[in-house]
Amino acid sequence: MVLKEVYVVVYKKIVKMIPVEKRGTLSDKLLNYLLKTKNEAKMPSSMAHCFLSQWQTGTFDDETGLAVLLEATALVELEKTAEFLEKDLQLADVAKAVKEAAA
Amino acid sequence: MVKFGVEFVPKEAFWKTVYYAIQSEKRGFDNLWITDHYNNRNVYVTLAATAMYTKKIVFGPGVTNPFLVNPIMTTQSLASLDEMAPGRVVLGMGAGDKTTLASTGIEANKQLSAVVDAIAIFKKMLEGKSVNYEGAVFKVKGTKFNFKPRGQIPVYIGAQGPKMLETAGEIGDGVLINASHPKDVDYAVSQIRKGVANAGKKMSDVDVTAYTSFSVHKNAQKAMEAASPVVAFIVAGSPDVILERHELEMDKANKIRAALKKGDFGTAFGSVTPKMIEAFSIAGTPDICNQKITRLLKSGITQFVVGSPIGPNVRNSIDLISEQVIPHFKE
Repeated sequence: MVLKEVYVVVYKKIVKMIPVEKRGTLSDKLLNYLLKTKNEAKMPSSMAHCFLSQWQTGTFDDETGLAVLLEATALVELEKTAEFLEKDLQLADVAKAVKEAAA
Repeated sequence: MVKFGVEFVPKEAFWKTVYYAIQSEKRGFDNLWITDHYNNRNVYVTLAATAMYTKKIVFGPGVTNPFLVNPIMTTQSLASLDEMAPGRVVLGMGAGDKTTLASTGIEANKQLSAVVDAIAIFKKMLEGKSVNYEGAVFKVKGTKFNFKPRGQIPVYIGAQGPKMLETAGEIGDGVLINASHPKDVDYAVSQIRKGVANAGKKMSDVDVTAYTSFSVHKNAQKAMEAASPVVAFIVAGSPDVILERHELEMDKANKIRAALKKGDFGTAFGSVTPKMIEAFSIAGTPDICNQKITRLLKSGITQFVVGSPIGPNVRNSIDLISEQVIPHFKE
């Protein structure tokens, strides 16, 4: 749990910028990016465990879950994530924040 | 009531397979089977991670073989896993795929004896005593763990041929029938019955499991397209007698075999016919799949395993099975 808290601090702030009605769509898309990524080597083991721990005990639809998912996906599929946020969800400010956090 | 199992091939990073394992538990699956091939991620590493992130799903290798992994090491792995997830571990043991084993330099001879020996050693070693055993393939002398295993672990035997099916019914707690079509499953169950009778057991003592190639999607065509690659490999690996049982055209089967041998996957997958998909998979909408599962249950199946590919999108297909397939049989 300590691990999860350390990871999600920055991304929790980003998630607060996302309208609640768009979070479900985002969560679904991010899970597809993550589970189909070929960039598995970019996922740190600690983040992988954080992701699994969140899935075991909760969901990826609430604030904490979406923050974990957003960080994990930004690590392996940053461009796709940013593009989806900007073009599909019309959240350019969120896309910019994710790019800055992942840099 | 029929149990539902799911099979995953650990060909990707551990966190993806474990994600699906957690999802399967959350969505109501009873059993989880992880395949064991040297060219994928290690089955026991994957199962250990699964043990840590799940609470109730029953899991095991589906299937390992005694040629690549010595039965003593298989027993050690399962006994260790049983400490991590008490009472949730099962062994799936088969003879292995001769072609894959050949690529490792292993000649898989006396397959039936090897499986019988492996299971005998497995059961004896789980008793925690010094084991002496002299089989046709495996021999152990004074072999003993420095720890006390928790106890016996159910053994499922992966079987396809008549003798292996009969033996599986005789000595197994479960049988993993590698088939999706009633013709094959009916035949398999008839062989299992012989073995069960030989052992003086009842059919209810054996978990008769259909280990199917499964693909579900709301659009039947998409489900069938996803099934094609898996079916191509099944066609290529099936003996002619099985292809004849399903009245499949040999020239088309041979075309697939030749294309796969050359690594021409496009031709191989594109040559799969609807009749082949019908013979070697359960593919379609949830309603179509439910009808086919219902037919298999009439054969005497007690566990139904959704195996590769599961669907065009594994995550969505697991949800679909949870919403529209499992409740059809459990509510």
